Amino acid sequence: MSAAATHPEAPGRPRLLARKRVRQTMLVWCFLLPSLAIFLIYRVIPLGWNFVLSFQDWSPMRPARWAGLDHYEEMFFHDEVFWTACWNTLIFMASAPLAIAMALGLALLVNADIRGRDVYRTIIFISYPLMTVAVAIIWRWMFDERVGLINYVAREAGLVDRPIPFLNSFTWALPSVIAANIWQMLGFYMIILLTGLQNIPQNLYEAAAIDGAAARHRFRRITLPLLKPSLFLCFVIGMLNSFTSFDLVYVMTGGGPARATELLVTYIYKLSFVQTKFDYAAAVTVFFFVLLIVVAWGANRLSGGNAGAVEAD
Amino acid sequence: MHRYPRWPIHLTLLGVSFVMLVPFYWVLKTSVSGENIFAYPPSVIPKNPHLFYYVDVWYYIPFARYFLNSVIVSFLCVAANVVFNAMAGYALTRGFAGKSLVLMLFLSCMMVPFQATIIPAYLMTGRLGLLDSHLGLALPQMSTIVCIFVFKASFDAVPRSLIDAAKIDGLSEWRIVWRVMMPLAKAAIATNVILGFIWSWNNFLWPLIVTRSADMQTLPLGLARFLSYQEDTTGALYAFCIMVLAPGILLFLLAQKEFIRGLTSGATKG
Repeated sequence: MSAAATHPEAPGRPRLLARKRVRQTMLVWCFLLPSLAIFLIYRVIPLGWNFVLSFQDWSPMRPARWAGLDHYEEMFFHDEVFWTACWNTLIFMASAPLAIAMALGLALLVNADIRGRDVYRTIIFISYPLMTVAVAIIWRWMFDERVGLINYVAREAGLVDRPIPFLNSFTWALPSVIAANIWQMLGFYMIILLTGLQNIPQNLYEAAAIDGAAARHRFRRITLPLLKPSLFLCFVIGMLNSFTSFDLVYVMTGGGPARATELLVTYIYKLSFVQTKFDYAAAVTVFFFVLLIVVAWGANRLSGGNAGAVEAD
Repeated sequence: MHRYPRWPIHLTLLGVSFVMLVPFYWVLKTSVSGENIFAYPPSVIPKNPHLFYYVDVWYYIPFARYFLNSVIVSFLCVAANVVFNAMAGYALTRGFAGKSLVLMLFLSCMMVPFQATIIPAYLMTGRLGLLDSHLGLALPQMSTIVCIFVFKASFDAVPRSLIDAAKIDGLSEWRIVWRVMMPLAKAAIATNVILGFIWSWNNFLWPLIVTRSADMQTLPLGLARFLSYQEDTTGALYAFCIMVLAPGILLFLLAQKEFIRGLTSGATKG
């Protein structure tokens, strides 16, 4: 419905009305202009440019040449680091359900009618909005081989004989980074699930209790189904987080030791801004983006529809 | 429903709170003592705490400069976000030719994470001549789609008759947005300010790519650079870390409700 058509001062003067409508449309586009310009410059054009670049041989100060599928061939068949990065990204993503399960438990606990629950909520949430670079430095220090708190406690408790070099070991580096990530994300998942819990009508539980449903049945039959949208939102966030986590890995391990914690994002960054292989990095980016879309689409299908929609319009 | 005992809940939550807080304590302790950098076993309670490392930070690095850069970039982001997003959000409450196209563009842009466009975004910023400048650091984040929709939802809730009344009184569209709509959208403004601030203040990847000179570094960059120069050899690193974290924690505690609401509504930032 056009705004101009319902305008109260719309008498039978068609030319004036038409001019007014043109002016209104112009104004609307003027209002949209700054945002549209930013999205064009930083989303739409780069996406296309990146796509074109991935089929070219190009580096700064050199004219572009057509390269066809060369970069993709190198990526899929001759680049082991690429596959390591893919694999690590997927492992990182697989840690999200674990974190969400823990957050669900916490959400149920802080939703209980207990004293001081606001304080608990604040404490658990506080790590989320903090600067990830600082969080990474904190956790580097916690995982430190010689004097880190974790090694200290493990040694005092007699769990290990020799300190574990968490961030310098092939087996432990990725789990350590994931642990730090979970520490930061946990409170956020918890708050989202808590909001979901609070939106469940209480009388459902009362009715179920009167009908004699046990607590675990109430959880299975009422809480979980009604919490599905919140849970799905958490999965989407966890997925995006695994694809976009750069700061934590970059500062904690730099992708090392020997690529054990290399993610797709850190690999793309290194390829383009350390090795200046922009063209090849563009091909990896195209794969990165396609993978993200496929995973998001798959998750959306699994959730059974448009649970990821932000705005119903 | 008061039949279950409370203490297991408290016990679990106390345990979790402990795990959440201990890393802060450990870093705070190192920053005032530095003692367990070289010594084993580490002491749990700092002996002879002092503030020398905090003083060291001022000598080692241009902390004020980094801080100022971060403030300028964040301010640009926040101001631009509020103005541009409010304008776009208002435009989307109107009917106009091409609206569905714009909506589609916005929704699909949300699916594009910034990380998937860094190479051309960098080249583009170079073409615009904005590398190594405050504006270049802020520009990609000056408008965010989630926040546009936050404004749109807020404006949609304003009754149509109010806008018509303002029009009859002869207010221009521009003034309707600023005089009528904005005062009614305080929650949306708060969300915009908080999200714009957090995203720009904590941003690391983009400044890392765009910044060349030491003078343009923001706090996260300065922190990472300090780490790569000094490794873990000085307590000043942890003092720096605390100095960076403290304002964030303070702001969060002051406006907790707004933070939580803002962050949950901006959950799926693209």
